[in-house]
This record gives sequence, structure tokens and C-alpha cells, in this order.
Amino acid sequence: MNRRRWAIAAAALLLVGALLGAGRPAAGGQAAPATGLKPAGAEPGTENPAAARPVRERMAVLVILGWVWVSIAVLLGVLRLRVREADRVHRMGLDRTGEGYAKGQRH
Amino acid sequence: MSALRAWIEDRLGLRPVAAFLARKEVPCHKHTALFYTGSSILIFLGIQIVTGVLLALYYRPTLDEANASVARIITEMPLGWLVRSVHSWSATFMIIVVFVHMLGVALTKSYRRPREATWLTGVLLVGASLAFGFTGYLLPWDDLSLAATKVGTNLPKALPFLGAWMTKVLRAGEDVTGDTLSRFFIVHVSVLPLVLLAILGFHLYLVQRHGMSVPLEAERNKVTPPSLPFWPNFVLREAGVWLVLLGLLLTVAVFLAPGLGPRADLMAPAPEGIRPEWYFLFMFQTLKLFPAKVLGLNGEMIAVLFMMAGMAAVLFLPFIDGRPFERKGKVVTALVWAGLAYAVGMSVWSLL
Repeated sequence: MNRRRWAIAAAALLLVGALLGAGRPAAGGQAAPATGLKPAGAEPGTENPAAARPVRERMAVLVILGWVWVSIAVLLGVLRLRVREADRVHRMGLDRTGEGYAKGQRH
Repeated sequence: MSALRAWIEDRLGLRPVAAFLARKEVPCHKHTALFYTGSSILIFLGIQIVTGVLLALYYRPTLDEANASVARIITEMPLGWLVRSVHSWSATFMIIVVFVHMLGVALTKSYRRPREATWLTGVLLVGASLAFGFTGYLLPWDDLSLAATKVGTNLPKALPFLGAWMTKVLRAGEDVTGDTLSRFFIVHVSVLPLVLLAILGFHLYLVQRHGMSVPLEAERNKVTPPSLPFWPNFVLREAGVWLVLLGLLLTVAVFLAPGLGPRADLMAPAPEGIRPEWYFLFMFQTLKLFPAKVLGLNGEMIAVLFMMAGMAAVLFLPFIDGRPFERKGKVVTALVWAGLAYAVGMSVWSLL
């Protein structure tokens, strides 16, 4: 069980590291906005684009979004294991030993 | 580590709180999924606060600069468009979850004794959330937000006695101007957060004091449903829900970033297709449907009074539904469903 935990923790760390690694150079590209962006609409009647942004920034965001979903999937897997373990401990009554636990039925 | 823990314990005395959380139980029944909505609202509120502070660093609440500063945020600031989009979408997600939470409590009759005060504070929180949406809608200062705010702030005017005064207070004058913008900004970033956090603290205290509710049938049959420890069993499940919601929020914010309309012109006529935020659409449609005169009385006044009566009925629902186990309880449930159908129907009609 411990070995599995360590493997999951290492995988999670690897993913977070990769996320930071992928995000940093991509995010660096956004420091200077691309030319062609409209200036702030100070005049009445000037419309602004929904989300005008440089292509590199857009790509960086999409990469980060992909990694976010991968991280969420991994974390959900870890949580599922933790929930199963917590439920097993609860069913065995190990979590309330010595506390006079007698309320209701156990789930 | 234990020395640090002892140091913290000496100063903050958190042991009773930790002991309370360790003892806390969550009943398991067919409505347990509704319990996840409460903490999800808090997650979205936290996101709103963080992104709101970031936006406030660059936003300028003046007639000349409001629209331009929002344009600057979404076009020039690194990831500014994403911060604004997350702020806007988390507000929408929060309102959706707030409505689900409230409807869940209403339909399972969890407001019944002794949780009446929890319901009252909850409805006040819904009101504060909607007020956040109303005040925030004007801040980009584009033509649609100006026109919608004019319509919204004109509503109290229809009420007798205090109506005109209320409109004047809301607008900081006779009409919607730069003063209204400053007023809405102050209310949005300082008054409402203070009010909301105060009521929220009381609401959470009441939730902890009375514990989670059990289904009506279980209480009537005096059956104790199975329960689950809050920590860690329930919190771990909640964390899974938070992760999925955060992923959805970020995805929607990336692909559906809100735009910014042309800067509002105080002298220009109202544009076509004025529409408030989606959660005010049913009120908007109700107002549109009311005739100018009803039995010789001002139709708008009747419509506003009708909506105020509905709000009062929602606020005092636990007292109206004093006998949830009897036939009257079923009538109240049917009325809640009818109210929901009315709100959804009117909103859809408004969109068509």
C-alpha cells in the first residue's frame, strides 16, 4: 500500500513539475503583447474584441488547460483510493475506537 | 513539528474546533449529493474574491476610464482576459449552485424546525449574491450594462411612498451617471463583501450548530439514517467535486471569454436587445408582460409588488410551511415546483 502511495505521489509530482516546465516558457511569450491589438476603447461606440490575445498566449493557455485536466484526473484517482481507505477504516470502526461511538448505523 | 503545533495551539486554541470536526457526522441518504453544493459555493466565492482583487488593481471606476480600463485588462494585461473571464464565469457558476442549493433545501424541506434561521440567512445570502451580480454588471460601463442598469434601478420608482427615494439612492441622483458607477463599485467591492461575509459566518455557524438534515420520511418514521464521518470521508469526496468544478470553470472561461461592448454614451438612446443577466430574466419578462394599467392602477407597481410578495414568501417559507408532514406541506412543495417552472419558463420566453 505504501509503495503504491509513493508511486502515486511521485507521478503527481512529475506531472506538476512538467506542468510548471511547460507553462513557464510558454507564459514567457506573453510578456510582450503582439502588435495589432486594439488600443483601449476610450471613445464611445468603440467595441472591444471578446478575447483578443496573441497566438502564443492562447497556445500557452490551452497547454496549461490540458495539463490541468490531466492533473485533475490523477488527483481524482488519488482521492478515490483515499476515500476507499477511509471508508474501510470507518467500516472496521478503527476511526472511533475508544470514543464511545454509537450514533446511527455505519455506512 | 509537535513544538510548532503546540505553539499554534497555545495561541489559537484550535483543539475544540479540530475535535468538533473529528466528531462531525454527515447523514447518508438519497439527498446527500446536495450537501456538496454548500462547499462548492464557498469555492466559487473564494475564486470571486481572488480574481476580483486582481481586476480591482487595474479597474478605474470613473466615467471616462471604466470602459477603457476593462478594455486594457482584456487586451493588454498578461492573462487579464482570463482573470476577467474566470471572475465572470465563477459568478455564473456560483449563482447556479446557489439556486440548486436553495431549491434542494426547499424541496427536501430541510428548513423545518429547528433550521428556520439557517434558511433566513441563506435567503439573505442569495439576495447578496444577486446584488453582487447587479452591481457588477454596470462596472464595464458599456451600452448594454448602462441600459440594463437604467431599467433595474427604475423598478423601485414604481413603489408608492419610498420608491422615488430608493431609485435616487441607488443611482446617486436622478439618472444613471458616473456617480452611479462609483456608487456601484464601492457597494460591489466593499459593502457587499462585508455584508455577505457577516451573514455567511452566521449561516455556517447555524449549519454547524444544527448539523446536516435528514430526509423528511426518516424524521417522520424516527429512523436514523447511516452516517459518514465528515473528516476525512466526506471532505475527500467533496474535494473530488471541487476539482471537477474547477476544471469545468477554467475550460468555460478559456473558450467563452466575455466580450466588452462599446463605451456607454449617456446621451444615446437605449440599444436594441437590452437584457439583464440570466438570473434576472424572469423578472424582466414579468415586467414586460404586465399591462400599463391593471384595474386603473399602475401596472409596473403591481408587477413590482407581485415580485416583492414572491420574495417575501420565499424568505418566510419555513413559517408558511409550518406543518411539513401534513397535507399543507405537499401544497407548499407543489407551489415551490410551480415557482420554479414559472421562473424557468419566463427566462426561456425572454431569450426567445
